[in-house]
Amino acid sequence: MSNKQIISTRQFTIVTFLYSIGTSILIIPSYLAELSKQDSWIAATVGVLLSILLLMLYITLANTFPKRTFIEIIEKVFGKWLGKFIAILFIIFAFMNSSELLYFIGSFMQIEIMPETPNTAFVLLFALIIIMGSYLGLETFARSAELFFPMFMFLFIFFIIFITPDIKFENILPILDTAPRKFIASVLYFMSIFSFPSIMLLMIFPHTINKNKSAQKGFYLGILLGGFVLILLIALCILALGVINTASQNYPTYVLAQRISIGNFFQRIEVIITFMWIITIYIRTFVYFYTALVGLQQIFHIKNEKPLILPLSFLLIGVSQIIHPNITHSSIYNTGVWIPYSATFSVILPIFLLLIAKIRRL
Amino acid sequence: MRKEATLLLLTVLCLLLSGCWSKRELNEIAIVVALGIDQLDDEYEVTVQIVNPGEISSKQPTSGRSPVATYSATGATLYEAIRKVTLLSPRKSYFSHLQVVVLGSEFAATDINPAFDFLSRDHEFRNDFNIVVAYETTAKDIISVLTPIEKIPAHKITNSLEISEKAWGSTVSVTMDDVITLQYGKDSSLALSTIELIGNKKIGKSQENVNQIVVSAVLKYRGLAIIKQGKLVGILTEEESMGYNFLTDNIKSTIEKITCPNGGDLATEITNTKTSLKGKIVDDTPKIYIEVNVEQNVGEVNCVIDLVTEQAIKKINEETSNVIKQKIEKTLHALQKNYEADAVHFSNILHQQEPKKWRKIEHQWATLFPDVEVIVDVRVQTKNSGTIKNSTFFLSKE
Repeated sequence: MSNKQIISTRQFTIVTFLYSIGTSILIIPSYLAELSKQDSWIAATVGVLLSILLLMLYITLANTFPKRTFIEIIEKVFGKWLGKFIAILFIIFAFMNSSELLYFIGSFMQIEIMPETPNTAFVLLFALIIIMGSYLGLETFARSAELFFPMFMFLFIFFIIFITPDIKFENILPILDTAPRKFIASVLYFMSIFSFPSIMLLMIFPHTINKNKSAQKGFYLGILLGGFVLILLIALCILALGVINTASQNYPTYVLAQRISIGNFFQRIEVIITFMWIITIYIRTFVYFYTALVGLQQIFHIKNEKPLILPLSFLLIGVSQIIHPNITHSSIYNTGVWIPYSATFSVILPIFLLLIAKIRRL
Repeated sequence: MRKEATLLLLTVLCLLLSGCWSKRELNEIAIVVALGIDQLDDEYEVTVQIVNPGEISSKQPTSGRSPVATYSATGATLYEAIRKVTLLSPRKSYFSHLQVVVLGSEFAATDINPAFDFLSRDHEFRNDFNIVVAYETTAKDIISVLTPIEKIPAHKITNSLEISEKAWGSTVSVTMDDVITLQYGKDSSLALSTIELIGNKKIGKSQENVNQIVVSAVLKYRGLAIIKQGKLVGILTEEESMGYNFLTDNIKSTIEKITCPNGGDLATEITNTKTSLKGKIVDDTPKIYIEVNVEQNVGEVNCVIDLVTEQAIKKINEETSNVIKQKIEKTLHALQKNYEADAVHFSNILHQQEPKKWRKIEHQWATLFPDVEVIVDVRVQTKNSGTIKNSTFFLSKE
């Protein structure tokens, strides 16, 4: 890269933390509750622990090629032509994800808050900050994540404290009553949204971080903390809303925020709480977009990625408008297609890369 | 370059000038506080109670106009009917401040699920409003009554509900959220409070009603309506309704009347109750153990009794325990034998406490429920006797 950007371990940890929460915070509780009922929180805990194994795989892979991004690793391992082909598939994957997230934030705002405002209006505004972030670069992005972190934590702790009066403990009984098949399916679903996308972070890790050793710790710490936040939120959804309600809602976390009411006076603050996931979804959308952007720049050996930003973002906004024709399509995609699709790139591909690298002694 | 960038930015700023896209100012919305749903032949009739904001502000002297207005419209679906209210109302209805939904008795007897689906689907409804059933009348009549003290009748409906639930214990405040979590239990039964219109319907609608010291039309709560699979199957008596609240651990305070050993009555004030339900499944036969712990004070003595003896207190405890037990058993009989509706959700208890055995009997729960054996154990403790010890008005003859 011509203008090499360096971020600190602390910033990387925070990015990982917010990134792993990403969209999971809004969509995971509902489908998880449908699959593993009152045991959702256990499924999430198992998912977080298994994610550590996945991270080990990523870190081993990244450390084999400490000076390269994930795209460059693909090219190096698979050779020039096959490598470029696979890299393009990966870039499409990242790009599709970022436009899906744009669609997602738009439809959330439309369904829950402003039903008469067109989806495009939200998408345009949200895309604007993505574009701005891309122009300013990774360093600025990481610093903004650092600034968002205390805000997020404040809202999160606030949320947790004020929802506790609504907890009904019997909602999580009986414990461990789910059929094993459904339980495994729900762990897989949780991981596919929570930790599979962490593969994108290999575009940043480890070469843009100033200290490699502590960056590894930061990677683990970020995921663990993010996982903890999600487990807590899933448990709260089940405890306060109950299984059936959680599973029937499009966005259970939002409904949970609506429940906050202290003495019929301190209430109706859900829109403030919403800021929490606006932050995390921004972080995730940006990382997807950044992956696609830097990926394109690297496979075509362009010196500077800046000229690519505008055309790519126009495409991004356009695709976000046609990616899902309706909410049902989106939830079928999330619960059906998404798991094998993302697993191809975030589980199978890294394993292949590592094996081939070992065989070819790279 | 710099100039161009500035220009571009300024153009972008214009986007913000339009303000919020779907904004609605306070003077453009009609704040709905109560919603009534009725069945009218094969159509739905909805009635909305809209606040007249000028009339309820305390600073201006009132002009004598009604503080609320109601509008009714019919439609083949609820959403249609609600939109058709705009044909009559000067403003578009705004439902975020909805406090109560009244279901007409005829509507409740046919199928209330369409109402529940619509209410939980639309984004303007906040799911924190109460749901009550009109007793042998239409919802339209119920929410067209003007009430004294509370200017907004919807406030009176919700306040009465909450206060009677706390102090008397024959009503339950069930919100939309509760319906979503409870209704679709194993056999989707639940209990809702019923409200009755007593007196002159016609005067109730006019301002005249609130200008009198004894109002001509008044809204009163009755026993609980039992809903099974979306249909009203029966209404509990007041006694059974209290039993229902004892069963669901929902009694905050109430009054019990017992008979003294030497004749006459004695009233006790229940101050604290705790009900715990335990489910056991032995050989595919479910059994429910109910333990009710009650704390009470002596509240009124209309008989000759020496309260300063251990024996008397013991006697009072026993008597109260029997009275409460009878209430609970009456409720259970009504639910199990008359309505066959698991409105106290024994199925959830069994599922939670015996998950493995429950799975075997789950599919035949509907046939098992009427014959489930329930063992009720009521333990009463009398704490105080009010501000006086023995009554000076009922002295023993010795």
